[in-house]
Amino acid sequence: MSIVETSADDAKNDAEGRFHPHLLGRRTPIAIISGLATTVPAIAVIAVLLVLLSKALPAIKYNGVHFLTSTAWNPGNFYANPIVTNGVEHPILAKYGVWPLLAGTLESSIIALIFALPLSIGAAFIVAKKLPPRLRSIAGTFLELLAGIPSVIFGLWGALTLGPILSKHIYPFFAHHAPNIIFFRLFRGNTGNGEGLLTSALVLGIMVVPIIASTTRDLISAVPRLTEEGAAALGFTEWEITRKVTFPWISAGVIGATVLGFARALGETMAVAMVSGAVLGTIPHTVYSTYSTIAAAIVTQLDSALTDATGLAVETLAEAALILMAVTLLANVAARYLVKRVSSTSLPIGKGL
Amino acid sequence: MLQDSPSFDGDVKKLDEGSFDEPGSAILSVRHLEIGFNAKKVIRDINLDMPRGHVVALIGPTGSGKTTFLRSINRLNDKISGFWTKGSISIHGEELLSKDTDLLELRRKVGMLFQRPNPFPMSIKENVLAGVKAHRLAPKSQHDEIVRENLEKVGLWKAVQDRLNDSPFRLSGGQQQLLCLARSLAVQPEVLLLDEPTSALDPISVEAVENLLRKLVPEITFIVVTHSLAQARRISDHTMFFYDGKLMESGKTENIFTDPQMPETQYYISGRMG
Repeated sequence: MSIVETSADDAKNDAEGRFHPHLLGRRTPIAIISGLATTVPAIAVIAVLLVLLSKALPAIKYNGVHFLTSTAWNPGNFYANPIVTNGVEHPILAKYGVWPLLAGTLESSIIALIFALPLSIGAAFIVAKKLPPRLRSIAGTFLELLAGIPSVIFGLWGALTLGPILSKHIYPFFAHHAPNIIFFRLFRGNTGNGEGLLTSALVLGIMVVPIIASTTRDLISAVPRLTEEGAAALGFTEWEITRKVTFPWISAGVIGATVLGFARALGETMAVAMVSGAVLGTIPHTVYSTYSTIAAAIVTQLDSALTDATGLAVETLAEAALILMAVTLLANVAARYLVKRVSSTSLPIGKGL
Repeated sequence: MLQDSPSFDGDVKKLDEGSFDEPGSAILSVRHLEIGFNAKKVIRDINLDMPRGHVVALIGPTGSGKTTFLRSINRLNDKISGFWTKGSISIHGEELLSKDTDLLELRRKVGMLFQRPNPFPMSIKENVLAGVKAHRLAPKSQHDEIVRENLEKVGLWKAVQDRLNDSPFRLSGGQQQLLCLARSLAVQPEVLLLDEPTSALDPISVEAVENLLRKLVPEITFIVVTHSLAQARRISDHTMFFYDGKLMESGKTENIFTDPQMPETQYYISGRMG
């Protein structure tokens, strides 16, 4: 007999077709919560997009498509009487272009990934495979702690310590010895005081490492032991096991983690604002150039933008934010596509496992 | 569970060494083997000879040390912390437990099939070739031939010939295990260790694997750990009964199952233990 007391109603319901009001009663809150959980993120994304769009609309009208290609960042004369163009009130001579910010955002994030990806994957393999179990958990904890450090601290460190050291001791070496040919040319020139593209990309890279590394470490630990043992039992060297079995097994997940890291780098604001040199309107021409990103520009420009009585400056920042959001979403879509392609032969989907 | 179990502290039965049929000269010899993890001894002073070209079943209750012993033959336990061995395992008189043993070559000679299919994350074709490529056993021009030959050997060729470049994970569990067998056969091993190779398979796949083993002897010597007594009886020529880290009894499968000499063996094969 069942140890749970059942009422006569239940017994009747059982007989008549398994309708259990008390079970349904218990299930309803779960249904509501899970319903909310699935719809809230979608609603939030759409709401943010709509709010940004409505805020940015006048700027989109005024700036036009040139916004994407122009390098100007001129709020205009706030003290003269505003004029109206295309139905939008704006300060005289106002002209905005997001191209340098967009380029700076992409460049710094891509350079950050170039540093962070090999470092993260290497660190993940060492933590998951090479360290003795006790050290493994300690190293893992520090990796996660690194992810929790506020970005303003990274920014401070980049601006006060890393930047000056690099610009005094490391950058001059590259600046003097880089050949004057394509790509390497970017390493020539004035190294400045350490604020600039390469320094901020390095800081970004360090911030991204724990995101990619801790996910990759978890993925490595989740590779079935039997599969790796099978490779060892077939006479694979350790390197062959890593290259031919472990890495293909986790590659789709690593791409996912990389995009998470990339999105973090794209949207990182404070550290970049502190280390980039916060220069608007120029595209970096060497890796030492000062520059800015969309996120950093929004935070550094907001104060002065609020003084624009016509509202155009703030609306332009909203438009820039919209573009940042579009870039981040695009990166996610691209990642989904990549993950799909990579997993077609390597991911263990199917029967029998 | 054990019920009216006798004391197991008695003497271990003498092995019928050298009594193997042709072509059953010993391929693998074990002398005074002790295996343990840290302070725990898992195998106690085992001596045995594996007859060449036969199927040898290792049976015994869980925790009797048979899988540990099996995984020591290809040194797969080496990486587990605290693992140690004493004594000797040799193949053709060549010591396997020495520091100088070439593990990669040992594992080419002594292959292994696991409890569950473990295809690698690469195409079906690349799975068959994985070992061939790692050991550089054949030039590229012969690869297609090797794939076909080994898939035919395990009876999988017809089912997969049109999708050699597909993922192996879409195959059924039984097909995956056959693919793993083909992968092992492709490096031309002399001995194959099988660790409960059919425990995760459906009955039809079990039969396919079992028939295959019978077909592949005497070219290959199979050492099979199994919890299925019926399977041991069906497929093996020799049976070795492990109990509590000791080799209790060893002999022709027929004799072990019809006329066991040790009380422990009797208890186990009659289903009263384990």
